[in-house]
Amino acid sequence: MITEIVGIIVLFAAVRTLIAQDRSERMLYLNVIGFGMSALIALYIQTPFGAIIAITYFVASTLSSNAIAYSIGRVKDEIILDD
Amino acid sequence: MNEVIGIIIAAVISWLNFVLIDTWMGLPEAPGVKGAEVIGRNIKKRGGDLAGGFFQGNIVCSPDASAGTLLASIGCYLIGTPEGGLIAAVLVFFGNRLCADPGYAGTTGALTITILIALTSYIGLTPIMFIAGMMIAILTIQGLYHPASSKLLGKIAQRMGRYTEIE
Repeated sequence: MITEIVGIIVLFAAVRTLIAQDRSERMLYLNVIGFGMSALIALYIQTPFGAIIAITYFVASTLSSNAIAYSIGRVKDEIILDD
Repeated sequence: MNEVIGIIIAAVISWLNFVLIDTWMGLPEAPGVKGAEVIGRNIKKRGGDLAGGFFQGNIVCSPDASAGTLLASIGCYLIGTPEGGLIAAVLVFFGNRLCADPGYAGTTGALTITILIALTSYIGLTPIMFIAGMMIAILTIQGLYHPASSKLLGKIAQRMGRYTEIE
């Protein structure tokens, strides 16, 4: 039952990510998917090392989210001279 | 205990744990990392609150108390009740430093939820209920409707005297 709840939340966030208009808005839904994937890894690999994998996955996903959000800010400031 | 009731109680405990610790640690006051400011200003542009937006941006961009709550629950579920939470707290601390986040919100959140899991195990709550509960809690903040959730977080920040001074 726990796996089903987490799975439904991940699917819900995935649909919201697809229909979201804004790039920054999408990052927030992707964050929910990151939480969900980390929980699913833990629920599926039921060994102590599974916990380490889930934790490492989540920390790495926030690291990349940070980089993407920062670059979204940079792209907004960018001036395109060609057109 | 009934699983559904357990998950609901765990969701409420996780929600209070991460929102109160993050607000107390000053997440709504300022964007701790560079990416958080972009997300916060975008939420304000869509009709939300700036302090709540910084809070949500900080959740996305660095492992804070919400990550600590989930990861400590996972650690307690798969490794064991005190030691798994402590391992999670150490790894969250490394994650904070990798993201160039100067705060201690993630580590504190992981340690407090470990204590809460240990205490609530006496009334029949298990760490796996906290995993599902934290998923529901993060869905209410990050996944439903950002203007409303950021306004709620902004109000909590005002109550606790942690509202942002940045315009």
